[in-house]
Amino acid sequence: MQFSFEQAAGQFLNPKNVGDAAEPSFVGRATSFTCGAALRISLHIDESQRITEAKFKAAGCSILVVSASLLTDEVVGKTTGEAAALGQRPDVLEAIVRGGPENRADCAALVCEALLSAIASYSGSVRDEWNGDEALICTCFGVSETTIAREIQEKQLRTIADVTRECNAGAGCRSCYPLIEDILDDQKRVNGE
Amino acid sequence: MIYLDNNATTRVAPEVYAAMQPYLTEHYGNPSSAHSLGRQMKAAVERAREQVAQLIGAADPGEIVFTSCGSESDNWAIGGFLEQNPTRRHIITTRVEHEAVRNLCEHLAQIGCEVSWLEVDENGELNLDALRNALRRDTGIVSVMLANNETGVLFPIEEIGRIIRKQSDAAFHVDGVQAVGKIPIDLKTLDVDLFALSGHKLHAPQGVGALYIRGGVQLPPFIIGGSQERGRRAGTSAVANIVGLGAACELAGNFEGHDELERLRNRLEDEILKGIPNARLNGAADRTKRLPNTSSISFEYVEGENILAHLDSLGIAVSTGSACHSTTKQSSPTLRAMNVPYSAAQGAIRFSLSRYNTAAEIEQTLKVLPEVISKLIEMSPYDEELKALYAAHGSLRRS
Repeated sequence: MQFSFEQAAGQFLNPKNVGDAAEPSFVGRATSFTCGAALRISLHIDESQRITEAKFKAAGCSILVVSASLLTDEVVGKTTGEAAALGQRPDVLEAIVRGGPENRADCAALVCEALLSAIASYSGSVRDEWNGDEALICTCFGVSETTIAREIQEKQLRTIADVTRECNAGAGCRSCYPLIEDILDDQKRVNGE
Repeated sequence: MIYLDNNATTRVAPEVYAAMQPYLTEHYGNPSSAHSLGRQMKAAVERAREQVAQLIGAADPGEIVFTSCGSESDNWAIGGFLEQNPTRRHIITTRVEHEAVRNLCEHLAQIGCEVSWLEVDENGELNLDALRNALRRDTGIVSVMLANNETGVLFPIEEIGRIIRKQSDAAFHVDGVQAVGKIPIDLKTLDVDLFALSGHKLHAPQGVGALYIRGGVQLPPFIIGGSQERGRRAGTSAVANIVGLGAACELAGNFEGHDELERLRNRLEDEILKGIPNARLNGAADRTKRLPNTSSISFEYVEGENILAHLDSLGIAVSTGSACHSTTKQSSPTLRAMNVPYSAAQGAIRFSLSRYNTAAEIEQTLKVLPEVISKLIEMSPYDEELKALYAAHGSLRRS
């Protein structure tokens, strides 16, 4: 995905997705103690973990507002895992930062922080509902070893990024990366590689 | 464009341009040359010196030295005095000075000087007892601005000068850049040794300023070289610019619209504070303590840069109180020194008027501003705080 400054300029004065997502929604907030900017992102997420609505409210510079406008636009239709993967890459918003005033990478990072916080609040609620007795590998998104192994086997996944895309595992704090790596290796062994 | 950013810079007055124009075309020659062309240029420079001296009430035009800008004047005044008096290493200044003084003093503190920073209260005013306590036997120089560039708050330089004279041998430098042309100044009646001014704040072009050096005060030259400005500031005189500064000073001295200008500012300020619930004034509410052209108003819980962008798209130029576009990304040191909360400092807008603003422009600004603020309030994540503010405002208006 690539954002351009031209895209940004159009949303400068009329940002998209201002407001709050329909209830029940999951909210993430971020505040900068350097410049005082604040924003919140709210997400409405369906049963298949897909974001159906993303809205924001912000008191921050134009770069922040435009970044929030673009990012909320981008995550609609994506699974929470795909959105989280996007949120971990503030550099995708770099084009806006480059076209605008200097030293604004933090502004884009703040938007990503709010998005990840909203997704974390969602995954937190999912985890609360978790009542299975199998081992949880990705605690952020409540994905079990069985699910990960099945996804890898059925879809012939090769990398952690593949796993994250298909079932959200690894999209949060990433502390389960070594465990996912182990499962990938196990599956390769099973397949005689 | 409705230009309400006159504390940043002003448009060159047509009269000033007309006065300068011959010195960019048919009149040429180096004012230091002995031939008639040079003498003509020299005469123009000396006439400008008289015009500047007249506006600020200098006792003698010889006390005026032309520089390239206000920052140069400030740097020369403070740095030069310390160079001239190497045993006096103590400086007193305020927390809310323009960068030309503030950053210079921070630099001087790093290279061995001691700086006492005077705090301001929430109105942006000084406590003069703090000055009395800070003055010492070895204090070299006290530097205080006359008018704050962001809030327009005036410092009582008459009283400050008296206190300094009574208690110490320190020199008194005043950064007058933001005040000259806006309020009457009569330096011969004040205990001021050095006074900086800048042309582009009063409808002269950018690139010319002056430093008033009271007779008897010694400063080493800021630029070492030729004997221009009686050896005090080398470099070929920028004659056209200097003529422009002189003409602008004369124009300011003859300006009769001060009351009307202040009336426009008051109307703008009153209506905004009355009509927009999250608006709050930065600086003393008592208008006699502020410049007559400046209003710094914070719109709480929204962002100044956004307000600026929207107003710009609607043909209105203002400036923000945040220095978010600078490398520090922090809100203005002046507003922080005044203890303005983050949520308000972030939404600070400075409106600064000039003689060229009209009543129609102010009405147009008052018409579009509430719409811009409403739009940004819709976008603000501080829903609860804003709801409370608007509820309080509603009940105030009903009662």
